[in-house]
Amino acid sequence: MWTRVSDIDRMFGAMDLLRSRMDRLFTDFDRSYGDDYGWRVSEGAPRTNLYDRGNQLEIKAEVPGLAKDDLNIKIQGNYLEVSGTRKSDAPDGYKAHRVERGTASFTRSFTLPAEVDSEKVGASLKNGILTLTLPKAEAAKPRQISIQ
Amino acid sequence: MDEKKELVKKEETKLERNRQFPTVTPVVDIYENEDEILLHADMPGVTKEEVRVNVDNGKLTITGLRNLETSGAANWEEFGSVEFYRTFSVPQTIDVAKVNAELKEGVLRLHLPKSEAAKPRQIEIHEG
Repeated sequence: MWTRVSDIDRMFGAMDLLRSRMDRLFTDFDRSYGDDYGWRVSEGAPRTNLYDRGNQLEIKAEVPGLAKDDLNIKIQGNYLEVSGTRKSDAPDGYKAHRVERGTASFTRSFTLPAEVDSEKVGASLKNGILTLTLPKAEAAKPRQISIQ
Repeated sequence: MDEKKELVKKEETKLERNRQFPTVTPVVDIYENEDEILLHADMPGVTKEEVRVNVDNGKLTITGLRNLETSGAANWEEFGSVEFYRTFSVPQTIDVAKVNAELKEGVLRLHLPKSEAAKPRQIEIHEG
């Protein structure tokens, strides 16, 4: 009897799984990750996200294994360039069984959707994620218009 | 088609594991020397609290949850919240009690030391 109960339980678990897969179907569609997820330079550069938060833009990039000295960020008007090098962290005297993590240098440039104030750009690196906060230039900020 | 066999398989697939986030396989480097096996896995955005390393019955499982906090309208989004998950077979010669893990800059580094008995030993030859 108990084996039947766990079978039913498992069936509902499978249905839940199916439902969450269906929920994700459309958001996953335009994302570049799948089963072969990984940091690869052959794809050009690290994956990034760009968010528009009204007064500022925020860029997040995946840079696992990079220290802050390995990264270079250049900004001019609405042109942003992020470059970096990932050095090999292979230890000496070890035999390599599997090497999937790429090591190379990359450059990725962006045309930002708005002019930013390059003086106030902030960058932080935490747990392998680079976060750039780019306050928009005065002219590009959203403004409330009062009706006369 | 042995029924018993099928039952065991069902247990192993663990359908009841209900995942919130899409599961992705982290890329890894595996190195070995005489004393230990080293495993480096890329898990960008995973915090120390969200990493699980489990060695059980010759199986090493690493999982890491990345809960990406976002705000504002996304102009583009190439990565999101995911669950990193990967399983490895490890030899029984690993000293499970001494396994040690560190997480730095989004890279998980696992040290799996070999037990004393498994290390190669130089045999000295005595003159008779």
